[in-house]
Amino acid sequence: MLRIYQRLWQVNWAEQWQYRANLLMYQLYWLVSPVVYLAVWVTIANSQGSVNGLTANDFITYYLTLLIVDQLTSDITIHILAYKIQDGTLSGDLLRPIHPILTSTLVNNIAFKALSFMALIPIWIVLVLLFRPDFNSITPGSILLAVPAILLGFLTSFLLGASITCLAFWTTRVNSISEFYFALITLFSGQFVPLQLMPPLIQQMAQFLPFQMFKYVPIQIILNRLSPAAILLDYGTGILWLGLSWLIFRWIWRAGVKRFSAVGA
Amino acid sequence: MHTLRLLSALFKVNLQMTLAYRTDTVVNILLNLMWLGWELLGLNIIFSNTPNLGGWGLGELIALLGVFRLVNALMAALIWPNTEKFNASVRDGTLDYTLLQPADSMFLVTFSRMVIWRVWDLLLGAILIIIGIRMSGGTTLPLNFVSFLFLAISGSVILYSLWIALIAATFWFVKFDNNVTILQALLDTGRYPATVYPAWLRLIVTYLVPIAVATTVPLQALRGDLSPWQVILFLAIGVASFLVASRIWKAGVRKYSGASS
Repeated sequence: MLRIYQRLWQVNWAEQWQYRANLLMYQLYWLVSPVVYLAVWVTIANSQGSVNGLTANDFITYYLTLLIVDQLTSDITIHILAYKIQDGTLSGDLLRPIHPILTSTLVNNIAFKALSFMALIPIWIVLVLLFRPDFNSITPGSILLAVPAILLGFLTSFLLGASITCLAFWTTRVNSISEFYFALITLFSGQFVPLQLMPPLIQQMAQFLPFQMFKYVPIQIILNRLSPAAILLDYGTGILWLGLSWLIFRWIWRAGVKRFSAVGA
Repeated sequence: MHTLRLLSALFKVNLQMTLAYRTDTVVNILLNLMWLGWELLGLNIIFSNTPNLGGWGLGELIALLGVFRLVNALMAALIWPNTEKFNASVRDGTLDYTLLQPADSMFLVTFSRMVIWRVWDLLLGAILIIIGIRMSGGTTLPLNFVSFLFLAISGSVILYSLWIALIAATFWFVKFDNNVTILQALLDTGRYPATVYPAWLRLIVTYLVPIAVATTVPLQALRGDLSPWQVILFLAIGVASFLVASRIWKAGVRKYSGASS
């Protein structure tokens, strides 16, 4: 099994490596919106000292950390799998004796992540030089404590993303559903503002949803802004959601493959 | 007259294509409304924490959101779909047929695809602008409103000219599929006044990829922040950039040798 993953890695890495110039351009998409919100909130914090206890530096460190965490936990399954279900080329993958999503799609995701992360590093360093954040609150311990959260965030977002993509077995096209799903992520993950600035109702809902593990929780752990009790609670919710996402994915996949009629192939 | 007839013919073709996917249209409009709710929530969060953003009030930001949505709708209705078609036609050589047609090639390349449901977005943008102006208190001078309208149009023309220059660059560097990525990525900066951005970002969105010229600048005219000379200068830049872009387009077409022939 390990050899299979090793070989898949080689193939997918080589495949992504072809598009390395494009990756630099894609980084722009990822960057612009956090940098815009960073600028907006820094302006507000500077004009009145702080916002709800958050200083300008708190916002800068939040969004700069967001850029990294977002990159690590995001999932591109919809872009690499949906068209295979639509045009029927998934049939070829189904004939292989390995699970197409838990092997090839997963490894492709990680290869993309590794390469785009490499493209992010130089840009991120430039941003750090431009915004001059004070990262004093970060300790090696806080980063270590965030590693499982990032893993949890990525696996959950991968399984949920794959489940959404598998709805294509029924609807053929999933663009609208995935846009809706994406909107939920933006709302509840802390992408737009640190969740503590959200209206109370959204904050409470976010605590019960899986999306805060994609961005907000790892960022806050890295920046040492959560109490041990809160971290424990968030980890508990996160693990619960990972299990739930796994069950959802397994059910959708099994039911979907039975329905699969290989349109067009 | 000929141009108008051509435009209405292209419109009809695209309308028929839209009507083939009616559910899609309804879903798209619903999603669009959802994003509007999301944007308004964003403004609500900002203004529940501060009375103004870099000197701009809530009404002014809603009006800015309206202008941004107009520009965005224009991009989504014409620019992005036609870029896709154009890039594909350069790759496989079908651009030859466009060039052979007895109509202006720049016109055809701009209008052959239209995403009709975006008309809805234009309407929404206009409503937001009206609400925003009303909210910021009836202090708007008629002259400021007129310069606002003209600057919004000339700003869009400047962005359009940049687009023409970018896709015309494909004639020289055939492998240039990323020609509009930078425009797409930076478009989101139009949501907020460029005056709140750090100097380097403000320079980029004002001079390099002038999103702000189509969004922030018209709003500044509406607020009365611009002198008459500045207004005239921006209008002149609009006209000049269109002339330069059509020159570049013509030079590019002459350079084009076709992929199929």
